[in-house]
Amino acid sequence: MTPEMRGEAIGWARAYQLLKIAGRVLFSAALVTGTLLAIYGILSQSYPFRWRPALQDLDAFHQGLLRTLQISLVSMVFGTALGLLIALARLAPFALLRDMGALYVHTLRNIPFLVFILFMYFGVARSVIPTGAYVPLFGWELDARLFWGVVALSLFEASFISEILRAGILSIHPTQMESARSLGMNYLQALRYVILPQAFRNILPPLTGELIALVKESALLMIISLPELTLTAKQLASQKPLQFEFYTILAAYYLVITLPLAALSHLLERRLKLGGRE
Amino acid sequence: MTLAARRLREVLWIAARFALAAALLLGAILLIFRGLGSNYTFHWAEALQFLPRFNQGLWVTLQISFFGALLAVALGLVVALLRLSPWGPVRDLGGLYVHTFRNLPFLVVMLLFYFGLGQAIRLPTLELFGQTFPPQFLWGMLSLGVYESSYLGETFRAGILAIHKEQVESARSLGMNYLQVMRHVVLPQALRVVLPPMTSTLIALVKESSLLFLIQVPELTNAARQLAIPLRRPYVFEFYTILAGYYLAIVVPLSLLSNWLESRLGAGRALREAMRHDA
Amino acid sequence: MSPHPMIEIRGVQKWFGRLHVLRGVTLSVKEGEVVVIAGASGSGKSTLLRCLNGLEKIQQGEIWVDGVPIHDKRTNLNRIRQKIGIVFQSYNLFPHMTVLRNIILGPVVVKGVPPRQVYGRALQLLRRIGIADKANAYPDQLSGGQRQRVAIVRALAMEPKVMLFDEPTSALDPEMIKEVLDLMRELAQEKMTMIVVTHEMGFAREVADRIAFMADGQIIEIAPPEEFFAHPKDERTRRFIEKILAV
Repeated sequence: MTPEMRGEAIGWARAYQLLKIAGRVLFSAALVTGTLLAIYGILSQSYPFRWRPALQDLDAFHQGLLRTLQISLVSMVFGTALGLLIALARLAPFALLRDMGALYVHTLRNIPFLVFILFMYFGVARSVIPTGAYVPLFGWELDARLFWGVVALSLFEASFISEILRAGILSIHPTQMESARSLGMNYLQALRYVILPQAFRNILPPLTGELIALVKESALLMIISLPELTLTAKQLASQKPLQFEFYTILAAYYLVITLPLAALSHLLERRLKLGGRE
Repeated sequence: MTLAARRLREVLWIAARFALAAALLLGAILLIFRGLGSNYTFHWAEALQFLPRFNQGLWVTLQISFFGALLAVALGLVVALLRLSPWGPVRDLGGLYVHTFRNLPFLVVMLLFYFGLGQAIRLPTLELFGQTFPPQFLWGMLSLGVYESSYLGETFRAGILAIHKEQVESARSLGMNYLQVMRHVVLPQALRVVLPPMTSTLIALVKESSLLFLIQVPELTNAARQLAIPLRRPYVFEFYTILAGYYLAIVVPLSLLSNWLESRLGAGRALREAMRHDA
Repeated sequence: MSPHPMIEIRGVQKWFGRLHVLRGVTLSVKEGEVVVIAGASGSGKSTLLRCLNGLEKIQQGEIWVDGVPIHDKRTNLNRIRQKIGIVFQSYNLFPHMTVLRNIILGPVVVKGVPPRQVYGRALQLLRRIGIADKANAYPDQLSGGQRQRVAIVRALAMEPKVMLFDEPTSALDPEMIKEVLDLMRELAQEKMTMIVVTHEMGFAREVADRIAFMADGQIIEIAPPEEFFAHPKDERTRRFIEKILAV
């Protein structure tokens, strides 16, 4: 084979590859769109879809999306901080601390968030404490529902996050901790300089996954009438008889948040693979 | 000291430690309440009189979880087969299903099904085994089943992938046909790999079932809500704590079962490895 | 030369749960002395080493390092650990830091020495082992032998009085064992007090002042190398030497 012939052959091979990939993508798109259209068509027989009046309220959805993102991010921050404390408690040399941490985690993980928010808001906030309509915090007057919603979400997610952090810390080979301690570092110094920086890479992908879960759980905050994405949809659905449309739009909005996060989580997992070095 | 006696002493010691930890936690919580200005008096005795109402709700929760789980398993198998299909577009269709439902909150799926699909498809009230199943119940079951099937589908897929193809090849080399290979080699192993995550999906299903109170299914959370809302009854905190207790009572044994299964079947690692090759 | 021994181990007993790992170990190591501990797996030699800097706790007995009672709960272990360097079999270096930072981490964080001061010393140490050019490389870019030598240098950067080695060459490919042993030999010549757990009997014969043989959680025999190899007193020691020499 002459170099020219080889070049041509390689050119053909590449073109063939591209053609195969293009074909596969086209077929997939066709099958998926076809199925969705078929489902839509069947449903349209019994339900008159009216998208235009529904799409007029996208502004409200945008607002709701913003609120959801705000609530989620704030809860994630507090949840992670608390989660770190609990993870450290579960790794502490004192059995009492370990047990209290374990009790916290296993109780919250095994009840539905719905039950927890009902308990926290109607049980604790409104009955036991009782909080008024506003919570004074550092000079601000926070909406009690916002405050308790974020508190409940943070407390709940902290139990899951602490498990992720704990697993991440434990995934670092024990010799690392021993080396650091043998240099004379105390436990906290060892964590800060040696363990946590390494654990961070193992922790980031599942932590992103937990952020996705947190965003999904935040939808339940509509139960306490906290303005966020799902409550927006419900309110609109009660005003206009376009429930199917509104709830479909709602689903789409959530996917817009969660699908990119899921992709990010995948990407991080592949890029940050920290195997056992040395 | 005999082995049994020693084990008993270990268990008692652990129980005592947890009891102490629990007492400390509860004490701290009560102190926080006092600190935040509470002068609430607890009425546990009165609240506990309403347990029969809770039990009615519990029964519905168990039923709907059971049927929802059955549906989830059935649909999950279908999804897994789609995702394992040799045809790319078919796999992508399965992928669409899985990635959509896994990334949505169950609340949204439930609302979409009941208030959305429910407008297009009218479900009847079923009368089976002497029980009445209103359309809410059926929609609840459907949404639970469909939602959890997206997770189970992935679990089943990973389970089947976890069986190395050398196993199948060895079995075929012995002269077994496809069905025999499935029955004697693949499925028994796949089942062991799949059982622990299936239990955790079941646990998630039971927890999600609490949302069904929003579509008027008379399950456990609904019972608690019905009791807590009327202003005449002031035991709101007690009722919601009891509610939490009921869920713990269902979920914790399932959790322990899942852990026990995982340790006995020891296939967790194979599944986790397989699940990492998520496409 | 100080009057009291650098390391004093008296009647040490240790259990891991129900497993009796150390059954009464007594050993005295003078300043500048090199003691090699040999023995089969499970004899307790690694455990003994790890007890010396408090990584493992003993249930009975006493351990004194440079006059500090390691076994005493009131002792500030972090402080005495600055004087005890230890090198493990593997996973020593911190993979998320460069070689240089690995070395200066101890002095900067634990002793509070300003980084500028440590840099010079660290580079000097790296030059000593001939890999100053790898100062800004990451551990995974080094060979196993280079990593272990950096681990030794990292311990040396703390200016310890005692160096402990827990099978430092066992995880290395054969070509790299020599470079690590050479460095350890240099340290011995510089009169560093060393306790080395190893299977490298050639090293032991050349460098050790005494070789201790451990089995079943006790030091069965301890003697200077010539005596150890030529006239082993215990049957177990004899069998061990035979197996080693046969290889």
